[in-house]
Amino acid sequence: MLATVFTKSLRDRWIGVSIGAVSMALFLVYGMSVYRSIDLSIYTDLPESMRALFGIAEGTDAGRLAYDAIYGFAGALTLGGLAISIGASSIAGEERDGTIGLLLGNPTSRLHVLASKAGALVALTVAGAAVMGLAAWVVPAALDVDVAGMHPAALLAHMTAAALFHGFLALAVGAWTGNRTLASASAAVLMVVGYLAVGILPLVASLADGARAFPWYYLNGSSPLVNGVHWGHLALLLGGSAAFAAAAAAGLAQRDLRERSEPVTLLDRLRGNPMTRGMAERVAGSARVSRIWAKTVSEHQGLVALTVLVLLALGAMLGPMYTVIDEDLRTFADQLPDALLAMIGFADLGTPEGWYQTEHFSVMGPIAAITVAVLVGGRALAGEERDRTMGLLLANPITRRRVVLEKAAAMATHVTAVGAVMWLSTLAGSVLGGLGMRVANVAAASLLLTLVGLVFGGVALALGAATGRVKVAVFGTTGLAVALFLVNSLLQLNAELAGWARWSPFWYYLTSDPLSAGLRWGHAAVLAALAGALLVAAVALFDRRDLRQAG
Amino acid sequence: MNPAIATRGLTKHYGDVRALVDLDLEVRRGEVFGFLGPNGAGKTTMIRTILDEIRPTAGRAEILGMDTHDRAVEIRDHIGYVPGDLAMYPNLTGRDMLTYFANLRGGVDWGHVRELAERLDAELDRKVGDLSSGNRQKVGLIQAFMNRPELLIMDEPSTGLDPLMQREFQAMVREVAAAGRTVFLSSHTLSEVQRVADRVGIIRNGRLVAVEAVTDLRHKAIRRIELEFGTPVDAAAFAGVPGVRDVVVHDHRAELAYDGKMDALLATLAGRYDLVDITTREADLEEIFLAYYRDDG
Repeated sequence: MLATVFTKSLRDRWIGVSIGAVSMALFLVYGMSVYRSIDLSIYTDLPESMRALFGIAEGTDAGRLAYDAIYGFAGALTLGGLAISIGASSIAGEERDGTIGLLLGNPTSRLHVLASKAGALVALTVAGAAVMGLAAWVVPAALDVDVAGMHPAALLAHMTAAALFHGFLALAVGAWTGNRTLASASAAVLMVVGYLAVGILPLVASLADGARAFPWYYLNGSSPLVNGVHWGHLALLLGGSAAFAAAAAAGLAQRDLRERSEPVTLLDRLRGNPMTRGMAERVAGSARVSRIWAKTVSEHQGLVALTVLVLLALGAMLGPMYTVIDEDLRTFADQLPDALLAMIGFADLGTPEGWYQTEHFSVMGPIAAITVAVLVGGRALAGEERDRTMGLLLANPITRRRVVLEKAAAMATHVTAVGAVMWLSTLAGSVLGGLGMRVANVAAASLLLTLVGLVFGGVALALGAATGRVKVAVFGTTGLAVALFLVNSLLQLNAELAGWARWSPFWYYLTSDPLSAGLRWGHAAVLAALAGALLVAAVALFDRRDLRQAG
Repeated sequence: MNPAIATRGLTKHYGDVRALVDLDLEVRRGEVFGFLGPNGAGKTTMIRTILDEIRPTAGRAEILGMDTHDRAVEIRDHIGYVPGDLAMYPNLTGRDMLTYFANLRGGVDWGHVRELAERLDAELDRKVGDLSSGNRQKVGLIQAFMNRPELLIMDEPSTGLDPLMQREFQAMVREVAAAGRTVFLSSHTLSEVQRVADRVGIIRNGRLVAVEAVTDLRHKAIRRIELEFGTPVDAAAFAGVPGVRDVVVHDHRAELAYDGKMDALLATLAGRYDLVDITTREADLEEIFLAYYRDDG
């Protein structure tokens, strides 16, 4: 596998792609088997606002629902995320690691390296889609689900093209700047904003056409699952990918390669400027390194700042939007069965509380809180071991327990910040839209969200403490969170299995409808106890283990 | 007074790999102790074990009379540490990093830090990730020396330093010992250890094969010698000379390993043979092991 730059790139990445694709295939099995066993008439009258976000089409059946919800939504984002990660690492990742010089020390041209990396990006994305395609073909046959008249291959072709578009954007930004973070962030923001815009804009008639401005629209805008491949849309996405590839080649050819270097942050610039040095020095210098907690908090500013901004904008925007689409929602609200409402925590969609629960708290909130919790928690201990700084840190007169506790406190600080922003942004939206939501109830939902974040942050911390491996901590916890989310939402749809949903932390999050009914202290206590138990486990696991030496 | 470091039967296995085997070692207060061995011999494992980073499979260790596991935190108040393959926080400047560790230690004498930085010509205002490996090593050395520890534990500390800085570093090590404090440093180069250490422990395949005073080791140290003669010579010419072994003769040239005073060898050859040139080099560690520790290896 080390014969060429191309095969080495495949070797570095195939595990991630396999895990992503196989997970989606398993979710398809799970989704189809659950959907098959429930009365699907409940989906036919689903309000558009909700269907749009989950990618569920009108007049759906079991096969279509599973394809749309699992492949069109989760699968498309997963494949896109993988492509972005591969694209951003292609050139900029080698520069960040300082290996590009070594690579180009061989008789190979920059263009050849770029072409090999681009080839690997295409091959891996197509391979991921192929695995999902195999499942799309085998699963319905095995479970005897009727998929006649559907074109999963067309959906997968559109998913692949959309993933490549964003992956090649990341590749091009990385090739022009050599900045991996910028490359992945710009493509990821375009993808997530596109996903939100395509879900939300069509709800407002006057803005509906605006969705076409986002590449994500061309993934599902033509409903390829029902209508087959839309060659125009597909050509648009693939043409864009090719244009980005050409831009990457032009950018890489003319640029000085970067040495292994540290990114210059805004605070660094302020520290360098005589006018602002005094102030910046206090913030970036002495305060940041005053203790382990402060240093750990400072390491994730970018991630948290981005999360906070997105949540603030979304939360504030949803209030005025509710007043625009209020009427449509009310007509649907009465017809929804309880079983379906389990998915979004029994929200009454005709009320502002239900609207916010559906659009802000049921999916976006947990994604934001858990992403922050898992990244900070997963890197807290295992990151220092991966970076080989743990030995140096523990050569100071401090206990391992103190290191775990301070790192956990830093994780909790970030997660609490996300919870606080959910609270503030919802109140802002409530004021802007004149919805009159209760401050205490919004606080209750935000508190429960914070606690859910702390539970998964605790899992990531404990996995990191036990293994010292960032990948195990981050991917293990993410997988667990997705599985438990599905356990909660899907099991509640089946009366016989509904009781098992209580084994998922998500059951304690929105099931009690905190935005309307206020806080159920018992539910908060369960989550808090779980988070506390995980912290105790993390301390114990870290205390008795040999530290890893490297990697 | 308790020894600086004492281990009893210290053993560490990783699965089937025996990284340390029954290590008994005592490092006295106020000495510079060199811990010598080829790559992969177990030097780093031993250091990480006594620092409580990893836990021994069997045996125990004490630092300054304190058990290395039970009183690990207390011990770290009295030590400075430079890990092998030093890595630090790349996004912090050297000064930020020293401030961080100073805070974790509850303060430091910044005058002393400045003095160390000047001696080593260290750049403390640049991000650690932007420094060359040698300059990064300097920051690592400063953090180990800065609180005037009673015991300095350093794993291959002069990695990446240029010869001038190596000399400065060696001077700093000797000053620490002169002040009655202890230095334990691991290395795979004999010459470095010979220059600074009072005693040397030699480790191979996880076993401590010898502990010697440097003066004895130097006396023992064998050299590789290449002799060039004006006329062809015979291997028999070196037969009776004490300390000579592994003689290979090619026409005008002879190569041999020699353990003894140069005086004795030259006296044997001078006058009897037409000696044109002599090249000598220090035997590498492996040769010393082969010569002296064949049975233990």
